[in-house]
Amino acid sequence: MTLFLELLQEMSVFLVIAYLFSKSPAFRSLTGESLRLRHKVILYLVFSACSILGTYFGLPVQDAIANTRAIGAVLAGLIGGPLLGGAVGLTAGLHRFTLGGFTAFSCGISTTAEGLLGGLVHLYLVRNSRNNDLFSPSIALVTTFFAEALQMAIILATAHPFSEAISLVQVIAAPMMLSNSVGAALFISIIRDQKNMYDKFGAIFSAQALKVAERTLGILVRGFSPSTAEQIADIIREETGVGAVAITDREKILAFSGMAADHHPPGGPITSEITREAIRNNKVVYADGVNTPYHCTLSPDCPLGSSLVVPLRIDNEVVGTIKLYEPKHKLFLNLNRTLGEGIASLLSDQLLRARYEEQKNLLIKSELKLLQAQVNPHFLFNALNTISAIIRKDADRARELLLHLSNFFRKNLKRSGDLATLAEELDHVNSYLKIEMARFEDRLTIERDIDPQLLNLKIPTFTLQPIIENAVKHGISTMLEPGVVRLRAQRRNGQVVVEIEDNAGTYCERIKRGGLGMKIVNQRIKNLCGQEFGTQVACEPNQSTRITIVLPEGGCETT
Amino acid sequence: MIRALIVDDELHAREELQTLLEETGEINVLATCANAVEAIKAIQRLRPEVLFLDIQMPLLSGFDLLNMIDEEEMPHVVFVTAYDEYALKAFEEKTLDYLLKPVEPARLRKTVEKVRSALKAGVQPRYETQTLNKIPCLSANKIKLIDPAVVEHIHSDLSGVRVFTHEGSFFTELTLKTLEQRTDLLRCHKQYLVNVDHIDEILLLENGLAEIKTRCGRQLPVSRRYFKRLKEVLGF
Repeated sequence: MTLFLELLQEMSVFLVIAYLFSKSPAFRSLTGESLRLRHKVILYLVFSACSILGTYFGLPVQDAIANTRAIGAVLAGLIGGPLLGGAVGLTAGLHRFTLGGFTAFSCGISTTAEGLLGGLVHLYLVRNSRNNDLFSPSIALVTTFFAEALQMAIILATAHPFSEAISLVQVIAAPMMLSNSVGAALFISIIRDQKNMYDKFGAIFSAQALKVAERTLGILVRGFSPSTAEQIADIIREETGVGAVAITDREKILAFSGMAADHHPPGGPITSEITREAIRNNKVVYADGVNTPYHCTLSPDCPLGSSLVVPLRIDNEVVGTIKLYEPKHKLFLNLNRTLGEGIASLLSDQLLRARYEEQKNLLIKSELKLLQAQVNPHFLFNALNTISAIIRKDADRARELLLHLSNFFRKNLKRSGDLATLAEELDHVNSYLKIEMARFEDRLTIERDIDPQLLNLKIPTFTLQPIIENAVKHGISTMLEPGVVRLRAQRRNGQVVVEIEDNAGTYCERIKRGGLGMKIVNQRIKNLCGQEFGTQVACEPNQSTRITIVLPEGGCETT
Repeated sequence: MIRALIVDDELHAREELQTLLEETGEINVLATCANAVEAIKAIQRLRPEVLFLDIQMPLLSGFDLLNMIDEEEMPHVVFVTAYDEYALKAFEEKTLDYLLKPVEPARLRKTVEKVRSALKAGVQPRYETQTLNKIPCLSANKIKLIDPAVVEHIHSDLSGVRVFTHEGSFFTELTLKTLEQRTDLLRCHKQYLVNVDHIDEILLLENGLAEIKTRCGRQLPVSRRYFKRLKEVLGF
């Protein structure tokens, strides 16, 4: 009984070790899903040390040592498998062997056997996909119990003389089997709790980071402005629970959310030195309020006591900062510090995307300008020449043509939006065609077949005009025979299909190569209406060229 | 009165220019033509002194037309265009003048002045011409452009000038002389041009005459006068 109590006392030393181990950096080796070699080496060292200590703390009994050596070996096997268990067992066993006594050899073997037994249980659990049970205290208890029983059997089998062995086992068997098993169970439960805490901590962290990511996603795509910054600041404060969050650009505060918002007005200049430092050096600056003091430069009564400043970057160029604050009475959580840096990098990515979107929009705008600028001088001067000739013969018709010309140019110049109704597009095209029809007279005929229900459909501006102009300029005007341009718009298979066909068939090659403004028209439709829409070309040389424009059934909507 | 021809594919442009030219009181517009083929015929028939020529026209441009006019029949040329994308100033030395549409009457008077003094000086207009890369031919009611490389031979008789290819024969308004000057086709007889690439064999006859057999199996006469030149070209 005394021996049992003494062993228990000794075991408590192990629990202290276990506790310390669970708090040490070495413990991180156990937090991953699978163990790498480096982690195994750490575990080997830790558990070997435990095991050897168990021998040293042991109590001399009848020329032998009652001890808690088994805990280290069995647990090493349980956690790290037979190899680790065997290695720890062998190390501690050899050490025991050197200490001598009539059980020296038996104990040396048995410790190795105990480590291997732990390893076998490990293998069994892993093969049955019961990885969680590796850290189960009850399994550790039972395993150690049987490991100690095994040791007793080995002593009986190998120690000489047998009579001494049997009397020794009678004395130590019960206390050692009990204390070692209980010790191993408690040891592993400490490890398990700590490991669970790590896991939970990680889960909370991930959940929080994902939540922030999810909520902020898409906000910054609209650009980096006071209004988007305000939304982001609110979200980050809500999700992290810090005292206050500020977002700045390079010069001024864009948004401030939380405590002390009264004296940190958005729009005000950056006054804090640490923020300037973060912008200047493109690095994270942390004023924990203890070692590095944080003082609000705006108000002496400011409740905020610590601050983390993380730069926001686009292509590694600082465009602003995000600041997390905690009030004076609260510690800045390490968790929030890491999270803050993560959020800043997330927002930086979004800003990069926003810039990309912005440039894409610019591209669409410049493409539109290009289409507008494509109004070709030939058209203008030929139109003027035609009208000046018609004035002699038919002043009324000439006036009508002048009005069409002015309508055409006004539409060309004024149209800055992305979308217009089909009716508006047709009106633009009609003015163009009226002039070309006067110019070519009986060499140009237009056939229209427009479903009137489609007239209010929204389509990208400058979709029809460039294509019809191609048909006239590169088609009809190169023909000696009478030319016909057919213009059709109808619903077909859940899509709106607009067709422009001429009977010349003279510019197949050029248009298929994507010239003559077609590329821009096609790209604009894809950008504004969706990737599955756009233009198609079908032509038969010297017979016809047909451009098919496929649009969404409900028209295009600006997003 | 200066005898003029207007070539422009646009009806109103032709009428307007005709009106303006007639208003000067110095120009007699012989005819107006809507395309290059009509113009070739009209030039041969009417022998105008000056041509008011649009550049952008269907099938054959104003430049193409210039290449198809016989040197002796070549009138003075005034280009008329809506937009100076051809940098017509560069042609100033080669053409007599150029006008931009819509044509200003004051500017037109200067042009007429130029034409009159050129005619008075008796300058024979010469324009730098290039090798023809298409021969306009009539095919049913269409104008067919034939690449000289696919032409086997060209034959001229009372019915007109006919271009023979493996597809058949087509009438053209161009003269044999123009075709000889502006293409690589070789004269082998007073009435024949042949494409040496299409010659299969040459049969030597008595009296220094010969006969060409083409790859399509057609037989063409070779006259004594042109045989020497043919031999030189073929290298024997």
